[in-house]
Amino acid sequence: MMKYALFPGCVLEGAAKEAYMATKKVAVALGIELVEIPNWTCCGASHAQGVDELALIAINARNMAIAEGMGLPIMTVCNTCTLELRQAKAKLDSDKNLKAKVNEILAKSGYEYKGTSEITHLLWVLASNPNVFEGKITKPLKGVKVAGYYGCHLLRPPKVMNYEDGKNPESLEKIISILGATPVEFDFKLKCCGFHAFFTAERDVMTVTGEAVDSAAKAGADMMVTPCPLCQMQLDMYQPEGRAAVKSKVEIPVLHLPQLIGLAMGMSKEDMGINRHISAVEKIK
Amino acid sequence: MAITLNIHRTVADKKWVQEYKVELKKGMTILEALNEIKAMQDPTLSFTASCRSSICGACAVRVNGNAELACEVLVEDLVKRYKSETLTVEPLGNFKVLRDLIVDWDPKFDRMKKIKPSLHPKKEFSPEKGCKQSIADFKKYDEYAGCILCGACVSECNKSTVDEKDFLDPFTFVKAAKLVLDSRSRDPKEHLQAVIDAGLWKCMKCQECTANCPKGLKPAEAIEKLHEATFKLGLTSSVGANHAKALYDDIYNTGRLDESKLSIQSEGLVAAALRAPFAMRLMKTGKLDPFEKVPVNPEINKIRDILKNAKEAE
Repeated sequence: MMKYALFPGCVLEGAAKEAYMATKKVAVALGIELVEIPNWTCCGASHAQGVDELALIAINARNMAIAEGMGLPIMTVCNTCTLELRQAKAKLDSDKNLKAKVNEILAKSGYEYKGTSEITHLLWVLASNPNVFEGKITKPLKGVKVAGYYGCHLLRPPKVMNYEDGKNPESLEKIISILGATPVEFDFKLKCCGFHAFFTAERDVMTVTGEAVDSAAKAGADMMVTPCPLCQMQLDMYQPEGRAAVKSKVEIPVLHLPQLIGLAMGMSKEDMGINRHISAVEKIK
Repeated sequence: MAITLNIHRTVADKKWVQEYKVELKKGMTILEALNEIKAMQDPTLSFTASCRSSICGACAVRVNGNAELACEVLVEDLVKRYKSETLTVEPLGNFKVLRDLIVDWDPKFDRMKKIKPSLHPKKEFSPEKGCKQSIADFKKYDEYAGCILCGACVSECNKSTVDEKDFLDPFTFVKAAKLVLDSRSRDPKEHLQAVIDAGLWKCMKCQECTANCPKGLKPAEAIEKLHEATFKLGLTSSVGANHAKALYDDIYNTGRLDESKLSIQSEGLVAAALRAPFAMRLMKTGKLDPFEKVPVNPEINKIRDILKNAKEAE
């Protein structure tokens, strides 16, 4: 049985609670054991890093050190958490002096970072282990056209996010196909939803949000799915403003990856918390 | 094997896509393919190139939506990556096209002038005494000196694509980081303030610049270093800086992000109040609960010590 130390990340405890619900239910059903990392903290979300990079490397070294103590690899469900943890790990593992400096800081609080736990994402775990789905897809999503939206931080920077070729990734389409649905190619598949510049470049952010949704809708997608809860929130919660910014008429639902999996495994829309979403919820049957 | 290059052409006001076929040879670069087309098939096709050694930065083009140095990237690798024997070659994105694959750098250099892109040495330096710095200080910006100004970083920049007027090109942020982090500089604050005014905090963090830099520089990280410098040099009166600090403070206070306070912390009370209709939308479906309190991490004192000790270690 596969077992991971789960790093849920802040939004799964907040606005994207439904993603946590769906992740837990789907993991149990697929036979993947998830143990939440006790007392984890925010990864810095790519913003706190801009206040004090060393502090955030140390904060994430603490997160990883706790998982190392559990003797488990770390699994995340948020692109930005994945990037920030992997970025910290890449820097620590490639720079002896930095590692010593950070361990000196951690030692004062009683932790030690060794570098023994790998960091992966739910999408990568599933794409590498398609056998977990065998016999589990009881309600294949036949005829459903799904636009897989990767989100920047699972693909870039490529040296740190190197699970697959970020310029032509295939993992998400692979999962969509396993679930019985039809993956839809669309221009905005690898582009940015704008989430991280919401407070500083709102007008531009709403434009990219709208373009992403519009691009998927125009390609004939019935819905979008993303492995990143931040992209999901941006494309779902701000879809009205995004669509207005680009004058797009079609409203489409945007699902978290585990929700789409849950539906294909016969779980209900309510079980997956889809009713908490804002856009086109009624289009999910 | 013959490969097809669909090349986006522009001559004066006319734009079209022209198909060319080239016999793929082992080790053939995109530049070699372009040279062969120009020599054997169509002398009107225009592009720029010079050193053929990934040093001069003249030959960057966009292939299947991603910027590449034409002299460096192998056609066979791209055929493998995109699983297709047909490739689309365009001029770099986010540039004005002069003709075919040739883009106009003049507006880019004009924009770069906003950051006062030259180093003014500290007063203590002189032609007699020189302008020395320690190896440690040199290493702080050394990497950024490797920029070859090829323009690949801005080609897929999501912010620049929407609106470049209130933003800088990633290569300009790289140059700015070099000037701000160089210990020999007389006034890093002057450069930094200019960068802030030109849109430092508007980066969408899409990492396209870092993904596309053929020299392995990390423009996105240069932007983060500039963010960090605003705190070190005390130039933090902006929504972007408030937002970054709000997240840092959340980690200090509870260990976790507090969504309900984020807008107030970042934008202030008045702007936050204007977001009330949006908040109502989220409350309706249960997405936002304004009364939910973020629990304080049981190890909060240890977490605070990490933040404090990291600050002291710098």
